[in-house]
Amino acid sequence: MQKRSVTRRGFVAGGAAILAAPVVLRHARAADPFKIGLFYAASGPAALFGPTQKASAELAVEQINKNGGILGRQVQLLLADAGGPPAESTKTAVRLMVQEKCDLFVGSHDSATREALVGTIKARVPYIYTPIYEGGECAPNTYVLADTPEQQVRPSIDLLTKEKKVKNVYLIGNDYVWPRKTNDRVKQYLTAGGGKVIGEEYVPLGAPNKFEEAVTRIKGAKPDAVVITLVGADNVNFNRTFAGFGLDKEMLRASMLLEENTLLGIGAENSKQLYNCMSYFSSVPGAAHDAFKAAYKAKFGEKAPQLSIIGVDCFAGVYCAKALVEKAKGTKAADLMAASEGLTFSTATGPVTMKNRHPDKPMYLAECEGTNFKIIKTFDNVGSGEACKQA
Amino acid sequence: MDPLVTTQFLNIAFGIATLAVLALGLAIVFGLLGVLNIAHGELVMAGAYAAWIVQSAGLPYALAVPLAMLACGLLGWLIEAGLIRPLYARPFDTLLATWGLSLLLRKTAEAIWGLGYKSVALPLPGTVDVLGAAYPRYRLMLIVLCLAGVAALAAWFAKSGAGTRIKAMVANPDLAQAVGIRTGRLARNAFVAGCALAGLGGVMVAPLTPVHPFMGIDYILESFFVLVVGGLGSVAGLVAGAGIIGGLGSLVSAVADRTAGYTAVLVIAILFLWLRPRGLLARA
Repeated sequence: MQKRSVTRRGFVAGGAAILAAPVVLRHARAADPFKIGLFYAASGPAALFGPTQKASAELAVEQINKNGGILGRQVQLLLADAGGPPAESTKTAVRLMVQEKCDLFVGSHDSATREALVGTIKARVPYIYTPIYEGGECAPNTYVLADTPEQQVRPSIDLLTKEKKVKNVYLIGNDYVWPRKTNDRVKQYLTAGGGKVIGEEYVPLGAPNKFEEAVTRIKGAKPDAVVITLVGADNVNFNRTFAGFGLDKEMLRASMLLEENTLLGIGAENSKQLYNCMSYFSSVPGAAHDAFKAAYKAKFGEKAPQLSIIGVDCFAGVYCAKALVEKAKGTKAADLMAASEGLTFSTATGPVTMKNRHPDKPMYLAECEGTNFKIIKTFDNVGSGEACKQA
Repeated sequence: MDPLVTTQFLNIAFGIATLAVLALGLAIVFGLLGVLNIAHGELVMAGAYAAWIVQSAGLPYALAVPLAMLACGLLGWLIEAGLIRPLYARPFDTLLATWGLSLLLRKTAEAIWGLGYKSVALPLPGTVDVLGAAYPRYRLMLIVLCLAGVAALAAWFAKSGAGTRIKAMVANPDLAQAVGIRTGRLARNAFVAGCALAGLGGVMVAPLTPVHPFMGIDYILESFFVLVVGGLGSVAGLVAGAGIIGGLGSLVSAVADRTAGYTAVLVIAILFLWLRPRGLLARA
């Protein structure tokens, strides 16, 4: 009896083992890392932001791994340079998908690269795009955390027209898609608020620009405010020239992409009456942000890369990946897209909730005080204004 | 005259005067030695960092002028001895060598100061009234100093013994050496002077633009166009080149916009390379 029983037990055990095989295999896969490909500016004109992008993503990965990773798998960050031409980034994307079997992409780069990546990835791998952009990205399996014109422009223009009683506005920007689309929205809100555009000009992106002539033209047009969609060194150059000609005392300025590095370049003496609305400043108050800043400083020390919206966005990108994949219980496109609706995830300044694959988020209106951003108004849960249909 | 028109004329003068000084170092090195120093812009960058260091240390801004010229002159001396001298008769090789050098200088600056923008405050803030137009004091001072500097250089080149020796060396190096002119030393001095002038250019532009490792690229291209249009080897050519490139850029930008201004400069540069490759006032 004893013997038979053992045999029967052995039989049962063997059967259980066979039945359990898929579970065992799944466990073996669970030991594989969850690979996130991070497209960031390791080189090129935006390389200034690279160290912050990398550091912020690494901090999020470290925190997530300490708490059990994504679906029990440790997260591995694969760094990819998106600072070169879009074609280079797409080659990297293919390599990461085919060779590395990357599970998900997070990208903090310009829109030209985003469009190229969307066309290459073709929704096979989820892609989370994070910085600031012109709106309109509704490609399947693509999730956009970036500030949209709706989120940035309305608070800025309301400040100008309602509080500062601005009527005439001059627009100056770099000549590419983001400034032009953002300015379309500026005009729309300005008209609604009773103001009007009395001048609009664009300077080439990436050319050695000087702004003496444009500033003189603005002086002649006598607007009440200037809305600036210049980026990087051009933004610095323009604002320095503007203040050099003494216009900083005569009219207001609202910039649409003015972060900590740019303001340091503009300099304390050139930032009078300069306003800006974005979802992140290093001076945003709140417990979540304090905790983020403490962890960032603890990990990277006193010489940590400068905190700025382009960089800290990668922290939210990695946390969004975790929330999305865990809610969908996998990386199937249809499941992820369904899971994204109403998804809540952490950012450097606290949790946000996603709708139409774009999060509603708090926006902060800041006034420059020297080389610091003083937050003068907070808008909670500002919608993206994007209406991506569910697939 | 309408104050705005006056301001735009001053902007044109500013564009020409600063470009003449920024291109001066390149013109000396290219025109006299036949070396196209691609790292010229990076020496302008080094000069701008020198200005930032002087200002951050709380020292008077004027001190940045000798310091930047000294630092860039020293750099020039090292570059000449280590890189240029073995390559004098090989123009294409010097081009490649100085291009490599420009990458090295940029990356060195990045390693020391990082990629972030440094802000240099205007040493002479505020505006001053010129014929009814409020014009920034510092820019006005630059117009005056740059024009005076170029005029002084032209006079020195025309009248001095050193100027004559340089002309002799350029016209016929072997014969110059035969009559006792130490051409090796003269060439080195010319190179060092060109580099020091790039440093001066850096001090000049530092309060106007963000100072960062990649700023040099903005200056090398326009400076090169000045030489293409003006021709090599004469101060008059330099002034003509700066007048056309800087003046046209500023004028078209004032009348139309910056895109048109930039296009006009590129078109003119291409036309000159095509139809008049020796420039307006090339040395005979």
